[in-house]
Amino acid sequence: MKGYRKYFTKKIVWFLITLVAAVILNFVLPRMMPGDPVAIIVGRVAAGVNDSSSTQAIYESYQRDFGLDKPVIQQFFIYVKNLFQGNFGKSFSRYPTPVSDIIKSALPWTIGLQFPAIITGWILGNILGALAAYIRKGFDKVLMPVTLFLGGFPAFGMAVILLSVFAINLGMLPVQGGYPAGMIPSFSWTFFTGIIKHYHLPFWSIVLISIGGQSLGMRSMSIYELNADYVKYSRYMGIKDRKIVGYVFRNAMLPQITGLALSIGTMIGGALVAEIIFSYPGLGTTLLRGIRESDYPLIGASTLIITIMVLVTVFLLDIIYGLIDPRVKAAQYE
Amino acid sequence: MKNTLRQVFRSGKFVTGFVIFSAILLLAVIYPIISPGNPLQMIGLNSFIKPGTYVSVYDSLNTQRTYTFKLPGAAEKRIDSKLSNEDRLNIKDYLLRFGLPEEAVDIEQTHDLLALWWNNYDPELRLGSTIAENRYFARLDDKLAGIFESEDIEVGELDPDTGEYVRKKMVTETDYVNVSDVANVIRLPLGTDNFGRDTFRELVSAIGTSLQIGLIAGTVATLIGLLLGLLAGYLGGVADDIIMFFSNLFTVIPGFVLLILIAYSIDQSQRGVTTVAIVIGLTSWVWTTRSVRAQVISLRSRDHVNLSKLSGHSLPRLIITDILPYIASYVVMAFILQISSGILAEAGLSMLGLGPKTTDTATLGLMMDWAMRYTAHISGAWWAYYPVVLVIALVSFSLNLMNTGLDQIFNPQLRD
Amino acid sequence: MGKVILEVNHLSTKYITRFGEGVYAVNDVSFKVEEGRSLGIAGESGCGKSTLALSLMGYYFAPLHYIKGDIIIDGSNISNRHPDDVRKNVLGNEIAYIPQAAMNALNPTQRIIRFIEDVIRAHNPKATKGDIYDLARERFEILNLPADTLQKHAVELSGGMKQRTVIAVSTILSPKILIADEPSSALDVTSQKMVIKMIHDLMELGYIKSMIFITHELPLLYNVTDDIMVMYAGQIVERGSADQMIFDPLHPYSKGLMGSIIVPEDGTRDVKLTAIPGTPPNLKKPPDGCRFAPRCKYVKPQCKTASVPFEELCDGRGSRCIIPETELREAYRNEQ
Repeated sequence: MKGYRKYFTKKIVWFLITLVAAVILNFVLPRMMPGDPVAIIVGRVAAGVNDSSSTQAIYESYQRDFGLDKPVIQQFFIYVKNLFQGNFGKSFSRYPTPVSDIIKSALPWTIGLQFPAIITGWILGNILGALAAYIRKGFDKVLMPVTLFLGGFPAFGMAVILLSVFAINLGMLPVQGGYPAGMIPSFSWTFFTGIIKHYHLPFWSIVLISIGGQSLGMRSMSIYELNADYVKYSRYMGIKDRKIVGYVFRNAMLPQITGLALSIGTMIGGALVAEIIFSYPGLGTTLLRGIRESDYPLIGASTLIITIMVLVTVFLLDIIYGLIDPRVKAAQYE
Repeated sequence: MKNTLRQVFRSGKFVTGFVIFSAILLLAVIYPIISPGNPLQMIGLNSFIKPGTYVSVYDSLNTQRTYTFKLPGAAEKRIDSKLSNEDRLNIKDYLLRFGLPEEAVDIEQTHDLLALWWNNYDPELRLGSTIAENRYFARLDDKLAGIFESEDIEVGELDPDTGEYVRKKMVTETDYVNVSDVANVIRLPLGTDNFGRDTFRELVSAIGTSLQIGLIAGTVATLIGLLLGLLAGYLGGVADDIIMFFSNLFTVIPGFVLLILIAYSIDQSQRGVTTVAIVIGLTSWVWTTRSVRAQVISLRSRDHVNLSKLSGHSLPRLIITDILPYIASYVVMAFILQISSGILAEAGLSMLGLGPKTTDTATLGLMMDWAMRYTAHISGAWWAYYPVVLVIALVSFSLNLMNTGLDQIFNPQLRD
Repeated sequence: MGKVILEVNHLSTKYITRFGEGVYAVNDVSFKVEEGRSLGIAGESGCGKSTLALSLMGYYFAPLHYIKGDIIIDGSNISNRHPDDVRKNVLGNEIAYIPQAAMNALNPTQRIIRFIEDVIRAHNPKATKGDIYDLARERFEILNLPADTLQKHAVELSGGMKQRTVIAVSTILSPKILIADEPSSALDVTSQKMVIKMIHDLMELGYIKSMIFITHELPLLYNVTDDIMVMYAGQIVERGSADQMIFDPLHPYSKGLMGSIIVPEDGTRDVKLTAIPGTPPNLKKPPDGCRFAPRCKYVKPQCKTASVPFEELCDGRGSRCIIPETELREAYRNEQ
């Protein structure tokens, strides 16, 4: 039990440290550039809006909320205080909608799309990788280059290919959006089937990419485990091969959880860009809109939420891994 | 060294990756030489012109020589291309009303379709349900009758003095011109993009630029990673703790978020190709640092390093002669992966609208961004984005393949 | 003469590599082990002793292949039985194995008791959890392992505990013969002695009837086994009782092996250590004639061409050398 407590304490402390670092970076990076870019960026909004009096109003309210005229340290504390209140300021491009409202409506779409897709891809990738390692021969010869190709494939590329084939050419599935255009989100059956229809393409494009990334790692992990001494010993103790494959699969898969934790940041990044292709109403599309419309508060909030999403996922994966892999517990005794 | 190279080139995976990569690289280097010109020149005034060879209509009329060919299927082909799909469907509609079975009417077979029409059309029958429809069928019959009439075309020129058309030339059905006789021929293997730019030429130049980005980003990341990894691994202690703290931090804080923040904060006018490449490099040194550090730690206590230390060799010499050669393979592998992830990062960044702000170079990411902004994927202009996706995938596939090949050579555990 | 527990006749097995090359790792090996007795097998690494251990199990998977010969355990020939029959009814039940790397022989992520359940159910699917637990606890007690070890994962055990756990698991079905393949090479000398003592205790308690002990450290065999067999290049070169083999080796290779170790006895401090020059032959292309000839001090011209049979001498002794016994003894005497 002591080993577990040590492990979890370590993980929680680390999670908090990364969280603080992420907030600091999100605050500091835009302000570190020469000539206070936040001021410039806020100024940029003037170029887009013709009505000069409303521009002035937007600018002033932002300055007031975030204390841009005060020293940087003070600005930081105002920033943190605002964060705790869930206040990211008001959107420039859709003034006076609070940014938190926009994020709140986008976040469920991203979470609902990406996590099931990444987990499905992870599971399928692991199964394929294990099979490739176990069967070898022809299966491996074909699967290996295919997954290598998929693994290096950009997520948006997969998205655009699936889109053009299944939505444009075959007309099987809708082209864009997260739900049927013109429909008002509600808890009705037709709306739900509409969501499912729009879900397919973004979902499968992320799944295919994740399969590519995961199965290679699983394959080498399984090959390594298949050569382990316990496999030989179990065989000579008369245990059936099928059962031994189960041991190997479990042992190879557990480190893959850590592998997922390490690659989840990149995967989510890729998937956000894939969202854009489908104009899926998630964070990726929101971020894109923020960038195109020079909506600084929206960009800052999106990047922060994405980072927090990644950090929480990594933390949860670490916890799950700690709970199910006894090797972690043992490592803490050393 | 020679031995290692020989071993590397015996790996099937490495060689395949190397060949694909070299082919792409050669294309980017050689094509601009054999076909010089500005890749971003907007030659077409329409957007998304489809792939093919275009001949100036004006010049083809003015060519010195015309050739006469009598091809057996020429007339049929001409009719085939003239009969619109709508007309075909209307003919079918009439024939079905007339009572022909559905399977007897094939709208693809122009010859048979017309024969059926002429055999069965009778204006007296009035098969249309309205007067307007009957009139329409009559008009259709007239049009079809005209289809076989002589196709000779008279070319006239407006006389500026009299204001009358003067006959200049007769173009008959059997007249042909040789494409090489025409002064202005444009070959667009991949059509044009939304701005009317030659997509193929643009793509080739984008490959070059993107490879540059990958190379710069990879170099920056590898140099930083190598330096930090060496410091952390060799010095140990506090230096190691600090460096490892930051690399652990940037392992979990996603690099692309930093990339977005930095790219957005840079003054737009300065966000050129090189700047973007350097920024990408600055956010992706973590893995190199980790793997170099791990290698250096295992090397630090080896005999040859200790011996060198005892002989009083200076630190730079020790690193160059006793450490670098042993970690070279890992560094090269990390570098290869950095190139490919740099190219992918640029593409993702550009699709978010944060790519290089430039009007005089194309990158693979920018091409993709333009194609998406002008909805090439919805209007079916596949040539504007499929080749880009394919090239990105091939570059990253070939680099990954090379990396896997090297990995199997240097980590024998993974060998088949 | 006790009852013969294991009889091996002309056993040959082969490694077939991915490229289709075959290597005879065990070449025409015959011997017997009687009830209550132990046999030591010694030889340099790569001589085929570990492969012989695996070949004796009668259960083959790539790259090891059975070629010919009989393995008779307590009167029943297992070499011509179906692999699944062997797996279910012979492995663990009749013949069991302690692998070389006992440290890594346990699945790191499985609780010990789960593994024991898997082992027992592989042979007796109807065994109940309660019975298995009782049996495991009884055996663990004999081997001085705390009962809570059963609930632990292999990664949580120390090296010595893992070692004992593997012995307990290997013998849980009371096999007639136990093959221990250098189970102690990774441990220090005290642990080695403990391991050997434990196996002896198990034999005295009747949980195992006889055992084969494989090692490259000859002093261990002197303390442990009743008989010794020396292997070279996949063949048996000499066989005899432990006393004979250690104090009066006949074959030049055994002689050389004895010369390269120290027998813990009076006067051994003055004995000069002499290693055998050269390396064992490549088994892909073994030399014609006597396989030891290229390294033999006493080699004669005919050694390199004539085929050398294994000859039985008196008292269950045997040797594979064409040089007459008297001549060899003469040569050994002159050396001293």
